[in-house]
Amino acid sequence: MSKVIVVTSGKGGVGKTTTSAAFAAGLASKGYRTAVIDFDVGLRNLDLIMGVERRVVYDFVNVINGEATLRQALIKDKRVDNLFILPASQTRDKEALTKEGVESVINELKEDGFEYIVCDSPAGIEKGAFMALYFADEAIIVTNPEVSSVRDSDRILGILQSKSQAAINGETVKEHLIITRYSPERVNNGDMISLEDIVNILSVPLLGVIPESKAVLQASNSGVPVIMDVKSKAGQAYMDMVERYLGEDVPHRFLDVKKKGFFKKLFG
Amino acid sequence: MTVTPSVLELKGEMLMLNVLRLQDVNVDNIEAALQKKRDEAPMFFIQSPIVVDCSDLSAEQGNLLDLRALRRILVKMDFVPVGLRGISNSMLAASMSAGWNVLRSATKRPAKLKKATETVVNNKNWLNENNQDKEAFTQPEKDVTKIEEIAEIRAGMTIERPVRSGQQIYAKNADLVVLSQTSAGSEVMADGSIHVYGPLRGRVLAGVKGDKTARIFCRSLEAELIVIAGCYQLLDESNTDLKGQPAMIRLEDEKLIIEPLD
Ligand SMILES: Nc1ncnc2c1ncn2[C@@H]1O[C@H](COP(=O)(O)OP(=O)(O)OP(=O)(O)O)[C@@H](O)[C@H]1O
Ligand SMILES: [Mg+2]
Repeated sequence: MSKVIVVTSGKGGVGKTTTSAAFAAGLASKGYRTAVIDFDVGLRNLDLIMGVERRVVYDFVNVINGEATLRQALIKDKRVDNLFILPASQTRDKEALTKEGVESVINELKEDGFEYIVCDSPAGIEKGAFMALYFADEAIIVTNPEVSSVRDSDRILGILQSKSQAAINGETVKEHLIITRYSPERVNNGDMISLEDIVNILSVPLLGVIPESKAVLQASNSGVPVIMDVKSKAGQAYMDMVERYLGEDVPHRFLDVKKKGFFKKLFG
Repeated sequence: MTVTPSVLELKGEMLMLNVLRLQDVNVDNIEAALQKKRDEAPMFFIQSPIVVDCSDLSAEQGNLLDLRALRRILVKMDFVPVGLRGISNSMLAASMSAGWNVLRSATKRPAKLKKATETVVNNKNWLNENNQDKEAFTQPEKDVTKIEEIAEIRAGMTIERPVRSGQQIYAKNADLVVLSQTSAGSEVMADGSIHVYGPLRGRVLAGVKGDKTARIFCRSLEAELIVIAGCYQLLDESNTDLKGQPAMIRLEDEKLIIEPLD
């Protein structure tokens, strides 16, 4: 059984690609055959963050257009077994993604025995984002603790549950919430919305909270998914998230001590 | 012992019927108004039994009512006229000669209750009249009241998932029930009333086609905008102390009244 999981947010720059890379690498490190697809046609970020940009020969659009086979385009990660990256094209425009094309690539990945297919969505609610979520069984909603990000997440949830293939077939896409760039100090200052409020506004189960951390930028500059930086708080928080996703009972960390009471209430 | 072959079976039965409550005795007006109603759902009314209730009419009005013409237009519109009810004594003779059966009044209008003697007359009328509508006459009086209530129930629309920012839900000719939340930036609308069992955070518009009796019910009032039959209020501008609380909103004299719900 394979699962298609879209990582989406509506708003740009909230940490979708960082999360896609970490989540996919985490699943693969746990032994699951995992592919991560970059849907951000025209920008191409995922291969950079995963440190494979020099190895890109063919891309997602080449496969859709029949200019390359899926096997030729998939890049196998050298550090983590079971991890494969399907990069986006830098030169094409978003219109190159067709529903039939995306579907055939996803089906081929399924037939190839991939257990998890992670779709890194571009920002916005246009074609690229729509294609990334259309075939999803599950969705990871990435939100930052600020009003505009939460509002955009809410909007994308509405699109997900009304426009995706699952929704059209009368099913629901399973929702998970990830709050990234969380800074307890700034929440206490009133600069940011609290976890409690975000969960309350979106009413989506919380899968993980990733603290604001310099390690994220350092990791992406050196082309290593931050989850592999096991000493960093962000890396640990991402690994917690993966384990929680796989059904383990892992308490939330790196939150203000004062917030513990609330999480006991929510998850205890 | 010989077995007598069964001749008949007599039992009370619930039957869907329409109650036409008259407020005007001008037959042309009645015909026009009824035609309009019927056109909204023609299939629903074909061959359906109808009782004419005259309890809103004064005795003088009742005497002006052309009962033959009334029966004619009902038949013309494919209704099956079952009988009259709530008529004054002075209408009794005219009713019978126009071919109408007279039913006992519903008990909920005590002022119009008939005296015992009249009831007997009516009963006799029921049993003696032998026509196609027999089935309707044998049903117990309380069922008539019950059916009238059923006829007023409006269909509903139920939404199980949250209504998210940018989404719009409209329950046409119906009440709307949202089992989850409505988000800021969403819009829920209904021709009837709206019930929201999660937090109500977006815009909410009840009685969209002008029904001033429509109401809004919610578990937690956090709406951006509240509208009933075109009368609106921004919650931010309201001084209600029910923000975030269970509330019911209704319209009274063109003003929105926000009340606690418990
Ligand atoms: N937890 C974090 N701590 C600090 N910086 C972070 C964190 N998560 C992401 N960032 C930074 O935020 C920026 C945007 O991250 P990323 O590219 O993952 O977002 P995105 O949602 O994919 O953006 P886009 O919408 O452009 O695709 C990057 O510079 C990244 O290093
Ligand atoms: Mg990205």
